[in-house]
Amino acid sequence: MTGFRRPSTVAEAVGLLAADAEARALAGGATLVAMMNADLVAPSALVSLAGIAALRRTETLPDGSVRLGAMRRHAENAVMDLAPGPDVVRRAAARIANPVVRNMGTIGGSVAFADPGADYPAALVAAGAAVEIAGPSGDRAVAAEDFFVDWYTTALGPGEIVTGVVLPPGGAGARSAYDKLVRVSGDFAIVSVAAVARLERGAVAGLRVAVGGCGPRPVRVAEAERALLGGGLDGPAAAALGAAIAEAADPPDDVRGSAAYRRRVIPGLVARALAACAAPLEHAA
Amino acid sequence: MRLEDSFTVRAPADKVWAALTDPATIGRCLPGIERIEATGADAYRAAIRVELGPIRTVFNVQVEIRDQAPPRRMTTVTRGEEGTRASVLSADSTVELDERPDGTTAVRYASEVAVVGRLGKFGLGVMRKKAEALGRTFADNFRAWVEQAAAA
Repeated sequence: MTGFRRPSTVAEAVGLLAADAEARALAGGATLVAMMNADLVAPSALVSLAGIAALRRTETLPDGSVRLGAMRRHAENAVMDLAPGPDVVRRAAARIANPVVRNMGTIGGSVAFADPGADYPAALVAAGAAVEIAGPSGDRAVAAEDFFVDWYTTALGPGEIVTGVVLPPGGAGARSAYDKLVRVSGDFAIVSVAAVARLERGAVAGLRVAVGGCGPRPVRVAEAERALLGGGLDGPAAAALGAAIAEAADPPDDVRGSAAYRRRVIPGLVARALAACAAPLEHAA
Repeated sequence: MRLEDSFTVRAPADKVWAALTDPATIGRCLPGIERIEATGADAYRAAIRVELGPIRTVFNVQVEIRDQAPPRRMTTVTRGEEGTRASVLSADSTVELDERPDGTTAVRYASEVAVVGRLGKFGLGVMRKKAEALGRTFADNFRAWVEQAAAA
């Protein structure tokens, strides 16, 4: 297969990709086209997903989960109406790059590329999201935590594409925060933090915190999160959570910051995200 | 970028040295090796497949052992390219073997690696992480292989 294909169904796209290991799925093109221009990749063919209406759909599932189609652009996700909790994904989308990239890039493309400095991965892990996948051997869903496997490596197998992400409801008293430390506005994160907390009468009833830019996958330490249950979002257990994430992180040393610097700033950013979750809803960051 | 690490093998230094200079053993233990062959007494040629997300390429490298004091120390010079010289790789490495009284051997290596060209544009931080992981996988495979051969 060569050239440019524009199938109208997921099955057709998967068939084309499965038939040629060197063909690539083209979502928004924000990354793939830039990499082609930089001569980093030379796909035998491009299978555009732009003509597949099903990938643009957004729906609320019977259990209250929200399913976002893979071809939804960051700009759309940045202004979508999501309940507190899953809205961490809206906050992350709003922080991606710049308007040009947000109008071009898609959530499916970003998730499939799995840049460790990208904004969605940590947000999806904090939201407890699932990534929906279609492939030659059928459809499946993988928890975001298991979807990101290694540097730029995901659970996607040959011929598989991301078709959507499913965000579970946050529940009563849910709050979220997303923050990232960057050199300049719109850059990839030096460190990003996504937090989703559920508060019952001021006490923590649920908590998920994920840190991005600091390892092959978003870093989460569930055990240290549990220590906050029943208490507040500050104090020794909150400080211990930040320290545990810094300890578990495996950050790169690069132009954005050394590994030691990244570890150093994680606890402060985690504390800030937790404080934002504790703030009254209308003031949450 | 500078890469440094060490690992310990439960085998005497001369056995470890022999394995380190045997292309078949390196080919078996280093992930991504598609082909490796001796091109002289102290020279090798290898093709190594590298994958980083959507980037998939094959580096063709020549490795030459410059100085050696068997079974203790060697320095090697590696030169290579991928994608018809779209990227050029060079690495100067030192490997030191230290046999301990308990019969195990510590292998220490340090490498100054430079990648120039299209892959040089792509996240050096992540490339270092991948290289470190490759080194650890090699060490695990190498240790298992040499210890099993020494026990046989």
